[in-house]
Amino acid sequence: METLTKMQLFERLRRGENPGRTIFSPILMHFAARHIGRTYGEFAADHKVLVEANLKALKDFDMDMVSLISDPYRETAAFGAGIEFIPEGVPRCLNNVIKTAADIEKLEIPDVYQHERTLDRIRGAEAYRRALNDEVPVIGWIEGPLAEACDLAGVSDMLMMLMMDPEASELLMDKCMEMAKTFARAQLEAGCHIIGMGDAVCSQIDAGTYENFVRDRQKEIVAYIHSLGGLVKLHICGNITHLLPAIREVNADIVDLDWQVGISEAHKILGNDVIICGNINPVTVQDLPADKVHELCRDLVMSQQNQKFILSAGCEITVNTPPENLVAMRKACQ
Amino acid sequence: MSDYLHKIAHCIEFGKINRQSPYPPNMKDQDGADEYTQQALQSGISAQHVLLHGLITGMEKIGKKFRENQVFVPQVLMSAKAMNTAMAHLMPYFSSGELKSKGTFIIGTVAGDLHDIGKNLVSMIMKGNGWNVIDLGMDVSTEKFMEAIQQHPDAVVGLSALLTTTMASMEQTVARIKAEKPATTVAIGGAPVSQAFCEKIGADVYSPHPQGLVEYLEKKNN
Repeated sequence: METLTKMQLFERLRRGENPGRTIFSPILMHFAARHIGRTYGEFAADHKVLVEANLKALKDFDMDMVSLISDPYRETAAFGAGIEFIPEGVPRCLNNVIKTAADIEKLEIPDVYQHERTLDRIRGAEAYRRALNDEVPVIGWIEGPLAEACDLAGVSDMLMMLMMDPEASELLMDKCMEMAKTFARAQLEAGCHIIGMGDAVCSQIDAGTYENFVRDRQKEIVAYIHSLGGLVKLHICGNITHLLPAIREVNADIVDLDWQVGISEAHKILGNDVIICGNINPVTVQDLPADKVHELCRDLVMSQQNQKFILSAGCEITVNTPPENLVAMRKACQ
Repeated sequence: MSDYLHKIAHCIEFGKINRQSPYPPNMKDQDGADEYTQQALQSGISAQHVLLHGLITGMEKIGKKFRENQVFVPQVLMSAKAMNTAMAHLMPYFSSGELKSKGTFIIGTVAGDLHDIGKNLVSMIMKGNGWNVIDLGMDVSTEKFMEAIQQHPDAVVGLSALLTTTMASMEQTVARIKAEKPATTVAIGGAPVSQAFCEKIGADVYSPHPQGLVEYLEKKNN
């Protein structure tokens, strides 16, 4: 019997052919670090730890993809923010780079090869390429235009800027979009096949604001990545039901769905070409016994048999999730 | 209800801060919550009426719309900003004792959690509903919550967590509050939190929306 590589499995799914089983690709960060006895701080600060942790998880849980996701502040650091690494927590951003409209004017797109945090992720992509030889899909990671603007200006201030000063908001997000394209290109060149674009804050804005400020920028980033031969996974955690019609126009190849979003409705709105990735509640994966997690995942997998679907939790697998629950998720894919 | 009070409530509901504010575009060059509050007080309307029928009415409306997904975070932030501007004119009446708050509400994100948008929304909506809010900020230790409760023994305490990883901190803080100050009402909220988790850790109330907390406390106080 022919043994397919994980890349070939994914290609089959993309083409709409039956890959033989459901693809399994949970988002791992803190969990993966703990799994190899390292801290989240080390995972975020050093690509060697991040890659080692993901490769171990790839092997132990028979995952079908690996990722470079770590924290929101790679680009923000390159833009000039101070970052503090916390041993068992998300890195902290120590200052808002954007405090006034004048700061936006002055903001320059950094060289991703010159700043240690962006370069570290690029090095991670290179390490995956060496280790996996293009046989496993590698997901790079960038911040979406609104997420990065919020990282630079602060969430509340940025969301109010959208209302009060649309022109300044547009300028800032244009710069964030350029940064996203530059960083995506570097990761693709270093060995990534897919670029994850995290724009989580979008679930907190209305459809009109998303359409006015965010959708077309995300779309431009996606088109750029496609022009370079890469694919895009759009990640907006939280309830995005109200955004789905606009998200369809972004043309992402994979859309992550959190547990609050109805998966059937999403398929209907996003169409048959989009691969949906989700959408078990990560708290449920953490709290239920393994047999219940298996049951839940198996029911979801069965309901998605003729759909383009990847099994994952709606967002990051929590650090306290028992490893046997991930094994149960993978088992449900068979 | 006086025209002024109606206008204040309307400005707060739609986030119109003052005449200079360009938001919302359809109210450009019109007076906002700032001007109407001053005009209402100058016309002799009592501060109590301005608070009750202007600010609180406006915040209640936006809180309900938020709960029903008719508006999202940016619109609520604008309403809160308009409310804060109006509230500044009422502060002297609180200081003189003419106005009384509904009670004290202590809020913070639990230890390890640096995500404050949900906490800020609850804080603003509580303030707009007439509560004296003590915002302890982000990454607040149990010790710090206990100190604040010591200073404000009748306060309601709100704990916010966005990360599943910080739910454990929430559990520890609730346990300590309930062990040492069992009469304190503890409210919890945040993306990973649920009613089941609320019951498990012994908190008093969970609401996925700030308005749910406002209504719970209204009922409790009445």
